Amino acid sequence: MASRYHQGGNVLSITVANVTKRFGTFTALDDVSLEISAGRLVALLGPSGSGKTTLLRIIAGLEFAESGAIRFDGQDISDRAAGERRVGFVFQHYALFRHMTVFENVAFGLRVRPRGERPTRQQIRDRVGDLLDLIQLRSQAGRYPSQLSGGQRQRVALARALAVEPRVLLLDEPFGALDAKVRQELRRWLRQLHDDVGVTSVFVTHDQEEALEVADQVAVMNQGRIVQVGTPDEVYNHPANSFVYNFLGNVNLFHGRVDNGMTYINQDATGDLIFARPHALEITRNANGPNHFRATTKHINAAGPLVKIEVITEWGAPVHIEMAQERFRDLALNKGEEVYIIPRDLAIFEATHGDFTPSR
Amino acid sequence: MAFRRRSIIPGFGLTFGFTVLYLCLIVLIPLSATVFETSKLGWQQFWHIVTAPRAVASYELSFGASLTGALINFVFGILVAWVLVRYAFPARRILDSLVDLPFALPTAVAGIALTTIYAQNGWLGRPLASLGVHVAFTRLGIVVALTFIGLPFVVRTVQPILQDLDRELEEAAASLGAGRWQTFGRVLFPAILPAALTGVALAFARGVGEYGSVIFIAGNMPMRTEITPLLIVTKLEQYDYAGATAIAVVMLVVSFVLLLGINLLQKWSSAPSG
Repeated sequence: MASRYHQGGNVLSITVANVTKRFGTFTALDDVSLEISAGRLVALLGPSGSGKTTLLRIIAGLEFAESGAIRFDGQDISDRAAGERRVGFVFQHYALFRHMTVFENVAFGLRVRPRGERPTRQQIRDRVGDLLDLIQLRSQAGRYPSQLSGGQRQRVALARALAVEPRVLLLDEPFGALDAKVRQELRRWLRQLHDDVGVTSVFVTHDQEEALEVADQVAVMNQGRIVQVGTPDEVYNHPANSFVYNFLGNVNLFHGRVDNGMTYINQDATGDLIFARPHALEITRNANGPNHFRATTKHINAAGPLVKIEVITEWGAPVHIEMAQERFRDLALNKGEEVYIIPRDLAIFEATHGDFTPSR
Repeated sequence: MAFRRRSIIPGFGLTFGFTVLYLCLIVLIPLSATVFETSKLGWQQFWHIVTAPRAVASYELSFGASLTGALINFVFGILVAWVLVRYAFPARRILDSLVDLPFALPTAVAGIALTTIYAQNGWLGRPLASLGVHVAFTRLGIVVALTFIGLPFVVRTVQPILQDLDRELEEAAASLGAGRWQTFGRVLFPAILPAALTGVALAFARGVGEYGSVIFIAGNMPMRTEITPLLIVTKLEQYDYAGATAIAVVMLVVSFVLLLGINLLQKWSSAPSG
């Protein structure tokens, strides 16, 4: 159905070269460079204030950088206005035109073209109809945005952006304003859509799960810089530094040092950073060998695919642990019980200057 | 009652009762008194009074000048609101307060001030007169006065709408390739139109009822620059109460119809988003 939208030869690459952007004294982007190959779906992932939305807006031409360049297929378009870049931009809060029907919203980009390039009435009707089929909202063509659900509105916003046959599709926290269930659905739908349409796409998110699930490539951002770029597998399993490790999932943080292949955990907050994902800590009743510490179970949440347990270590720090339901039933844990914790996998980041870098 | 719902205000019965009572006391009873007073006249007499050439000329002037003033404010009120909302400049607060001044000023003062400025030897009157444009003591002067007193309405109705208008709408339009004028015409203007029409209705209503500022600048020549409220006052001064209320009734009916029309227009222009 959707294959007719495949952009084929029109797919292009994006180059962000040494872009710096300041708002007053605040540096939103600090000498950022990024290469996005043609046809990719890339996530800009980072906490709020990391500059990810600013970068997206600069690519779109809604914001302009102080220095550096944006290139589409090697061609410098830094000074071009948004309307001349042929980018599709999808806003977090949809930004649909309230006084227009779904049909008119999607047709907007075609109707505002200069007279010579404007498609005929019939062409507009066909094109919009096809797009409404693509977002499965043809039956709602005559409705107004206020009569649609959040998920439907976001799909209309996407169709509106696609109507102008953009060379690049940019999405700013596209699912941020939606509830969890709809978000899940739209995520998969976006991935599918991208595979069908094939247009180079960049989306901004602060949700690591979303980025890891949807994107071909993830660019992790922090404080106006790109910290790491890689496939979801790369950034998750080989984080460049402690920030990336910390940001890409739940972690327990310990402090300590590595000596002669042995890891020692300090009970005060000094030394190297030692991370453990909640699923990499094992709870047992009888510990053998030196590799363990003692803790008391404090809270147990058995709702969900994994059982989440909070324990308090013998030195009084809370630690979060996840285990399979099966294992939990075998253990038959109770609240307030004294147990042993065996770390199965630790990530250790040595305290160098400023950032912590992996030590493996 | 099927339309009764739980609400934070204590009971539909009480609030509705109060609303009706209030409207009766403040609006309906005084208005019905005019109709009652008029009914002392026979139908023939009534018709004779309200269709007298002098009365008809005053209707045309009053409604024509009020509509013109309201439409001028429609354009420039939107412009003023736009500047106040969209740009940060040093004297913005002061300018913002200036907008309300026509509300606060006694209308007679406004009238005298405008007359002084626009008279043939006034600051603006003299250069305009040398160009052949006469403002004071002409219909143009009446339009100027009504534009002056109607200014706050459009500005104050449009301002909050513009303030709430999402910047992203313009960005969305721009990224879809729309030019500035297309963005304004297709995206922004439709969004503020209902509010602007409300402002026009208010400015128009105010203009129709305006007396103080107009009588100074109008010159008050019967058939030419005499507004209906002045005609009513003239009749009252001659103790012709029935004649005065007869003309007032015509004004009421025409005003009501016009305001209803503007309200319907406004409802129609804002229907989609509802």
